[in-house]
Order: sequence, then C-alpha cells, then structure tokens
Amino acid sequence: MKPEINIALMNAAQEILSRFSPMIEDEYEQSRLNSWGALILISAMKFNQSYSSLVEENKSMISWLTKTKKNYSKELSAEIDNVVVKENVEQNILDEYNQSLRRILIKAHIEIDLLDDVKNKRACLQLLRKMHSHRKVSDLIGMLQQADS
Amino acid sequence: MESNKDLSNKFIAYYSSLVGKEISLLSFERIFGGASRETYKIHIKDQSNLQEKLILRRTQKSSLIETSQSTEYLAYSAYQETSVPVPLMIDINEDQEILGAPFMLMQQLDGVAASPFTPDVYSPNEQKLGEQFWSILGEIAKKDIEDDFINQFDNTGNPCWKQELDKWIAVIREDSISVEPILEAGIRKLYENEPKESKKKSLVHGDYRNGNFLFMEDRITGILDWEMAHIGDPLEDLAWALSPIWSWQDQGKPAYMIARQEALSIWEKVSGLTIDENDLKWWELFACVKGMAIWISAGNEFKTGKNIDPINLFSPWIPGDIHLEIILNILDEDLN
Repeated sequence: MKPEINIALMNAAQEILSRFSPMIEDEYEQSRLNSWGALILISAMKFNQSYSSLVEENKSMISWLTKTKKNYSKELSAEIDNVVVKENVEQNILDEYNQSLRRILIKAHIEIDLLDDVKNKRACLQLLRKMHSHRKVSDLIGMLQQADS
Repeated sequence: MESNKDLSNKFIAYYSSLVGKEISLLSFERIFGGASRETYKIHIKDQSNLQEKLILRRTQKSSLIETSQSTEYLAYSAYQETSVPVPLMIDINEDQEILGAPFMLMQQLDGVAASPFTPDVYSPNEQKLGEQFWSILGEIAKKDIEDDFINQFDNTGNPCWKQELDKWIAVIREDSISVEPILEAGIRKLYENEPKESKKKSLVHGDYRNGNFLFMEDRITGILDWEMAHIGDPLEDLAWALSPIWSWQDQGKPAYMIARQEALSIWEKVSGLTIDENDLKWWELFACVKGMAIWISAGNEFKTGKNIDPINLFSPWIPGDIHLEIILNILDEDLN
C-alpha cells in the first residue's frame, strides 16, 4: 500500500509551513510561501472529494432538470433530453459535461423565474445551494488563518 | 528576474535626483498582498541623518484589477489634509524607464492593516474604530465634487448603477473560466430591479472595507487602496463595506466592528444623506457581483499562468465561494 496523494500534499504543506518558511528572512517571500502552504493544505483536504463531488453535482442537476422538464419550453426540453442521455461519462470529460449541464440549468432557472411558482423557484435555489456546498472550499477559511499566524 | 536590490538602487538614484540631495537606504521591503500594484515600504535617511518613511506603488505587468494609477493618485489628492486621513502624495511618474514601470510615491503613515478575514482583530477597540470607520465613509460621501474633477474620471453618460454594473459584467464575460448559475441569477436580478439614480454623486472609494485602512490602537490613521475610485452613487461604498464577506465569521458586526444599524446611523448623520433601503439592497447584491468579477479575473490570471501569485488562487477559492453564498442568501431572502 503506498501513501495517497492527499497525504503527500498534506505533508508537503506541513514542511513548507513549519520547516522552510521560518528559514526565510524576507517578509514578503515568507508570506507568499505561507500562502502556498495553506493553499496546498486546502488542496489536500479537498482532493479526495473532488471527483465524487462532480459526479454528485451532475446527478443532482440531471435529476432536477428531468423532474421539472414539463415546465420548460419545447426547445429547452429538447436540449435537456439531448444532454441527460449521456451515461457513465468518462472522467476526462466529466467537467465538460458539468459545464453543459450548468448552461442548461441557467436557462431552466430563467424560465422558472418567469413562472408564478414559488415552490419551484425555491427548489431551484436549493439545488444551487447543494451544488455550491459540494464545491466550496471557503469552509476551510479557519485553516488559512492558522497558517497565516 | 529583477531583485529588490536592483529596484532599490534605481529608487535611490531617482529619489536623490527628485529631492536634490544624497540619500541612503535603511530598508526596502515589498509588502505582501497588493493585488493591483507592487507595494514597497521604504526607509531612508539623508546626510544630516534626517529619516523618511515612504510607500512606493509600482504598476504590475499583470494585476488582479486593471486600474489606472492616475485615478488612484487623483483620489488621494482629493483628500489631502482633510478629515479623511490619507498619505501625503509626493510624486506620480508614468515613465517606464526609471523604475521599470509607472509608479507613485507617498509618505508612509503610522499604523497597521488587518486581514479582512480575521475576526476580533480590532478587539478591544472595535467600538471606537467602528465609529471612525463609518464616519469617515460618511465624510467621503458628503464631499462635494466639482465638475472639472468629475470630468477627469471615465463617464459613459449612463446612470451610476448601469455604468458600474456594465463595467463589471464585461470583466466577468471576458475572464470567466467556468459557467456559474448562481452568479448569473444574481446578474439577472440586478438588471431586472434597477435602483433609483442617486441625487448626489460622490467620489466612490471603490474598495472601502476592513483591511484597507491603517490603525493604531483605537485610531484610524489612514484610508488606503483607492485604485478603484470613481464617480458614482455613495451607496456603492456603503454596500461594499457592509458586505457579509468582510465579517464572514461574525456577521452581526459588519467589517468586524460595530452593529449594522449603528453603522448606518453614523453614516447617515455624517453624510447628511438618507438611505433608501431598497436601493441599498440593490447595491449589496451588486457588491457580490462586483466581487465575483474581481475574483474571476484573479482566477483567470492564475489559470492562464499570467500571474501565479497565490493571491490569484486564494481569491476565487475563498472570497469567490463566500460571495456566491451571499448571492444565494439574498435570492433566498427575496423569495420569503
């Protein structure tokens, strides 16, 4: 069993912050190196989730767009049909697929907003919040502050 | 790569010639975090041992926010020796040969700046500092601006809100590297619900917030970073300073100082202006979209390798995420 990539990144960050950074006298260069240490630490924390988060986000969008399809114009419905049929998307185009789904979601949101349907408007915002929570790294802000100090 | 030593030598030659006497260097240090200009703290002395502390701001080849240094200089100049504390300006120079890029020079003020992401940083003086922070912003809003001063800034002839919104949307369209449905929803909301045009036009600081002022214990000693200054609606600065991003871990106290209602009362009293709640709400959503434009622009610099300063990775990661969350909160509130 070999050490995982996130462990390697975490150890690299720790070395940067606690071993190399104190050796630097120039305040600017030290601050810059500390920032790199903290950002590598965040990368390590989020590394393992990044693939599964993207898969999960795509699934959520497909599920919601399919469920609410009846509310949309013919053109948008056809676009949804075209894009959601893709299954078992390969990892290298997962992000591309995600961007296509996001483009459709924007159109769906515009059409939802034109309807007098608060329930669906709210559901759309809930979906956006769920997607955001999969991706965000701002929950690790405390870690940056620690590294900074 | 240019070293600090090369630059400091060039600086000494330039400054000796400017002041007409021989000077020598005590220290020359770059300050970390300047997103739009390289900023250096300089300590010098002349032959009679008279010491001077200066700040050099040099234009970067690639910066987080593309801004004109003449705009920044103009804004600083407008508040020299007023109740809005700003450093004394010494020179602005567009010549690329002297220090390798255009630059401006000012006196260094005493005090320290704090990170806008650190709660409790103003403790135990947050009450006094908060009163000054919102009061100074009121002074900025109150200042009457002459037409010939206004004419030195960009003006599309559109209402203030539209001029600013169009400007930042253009940045988003130019620099976006991914599709962002939350941001798009925020942009639609702004265009669909335009605010009233401000009766009073002010010199807007453009980045008035905690982190952009110097303080010593309970006293604000300087308002810095005027590079995004422009003529506009005074509510723009107010909304930017109030944005929950600048007090993310203690949202009851905007800018980590005093409560929102107290801040608004001070601002109204000092500026002599009355806040329209709906218009302020519009500008608060605008603040998030403008912020996103800045973070997106930084992310683009980083991803394309034009400028891999870690601040250009930090910006889309942390502030970018926070501003998206605030947009969602605003959209949610509007549905309730």
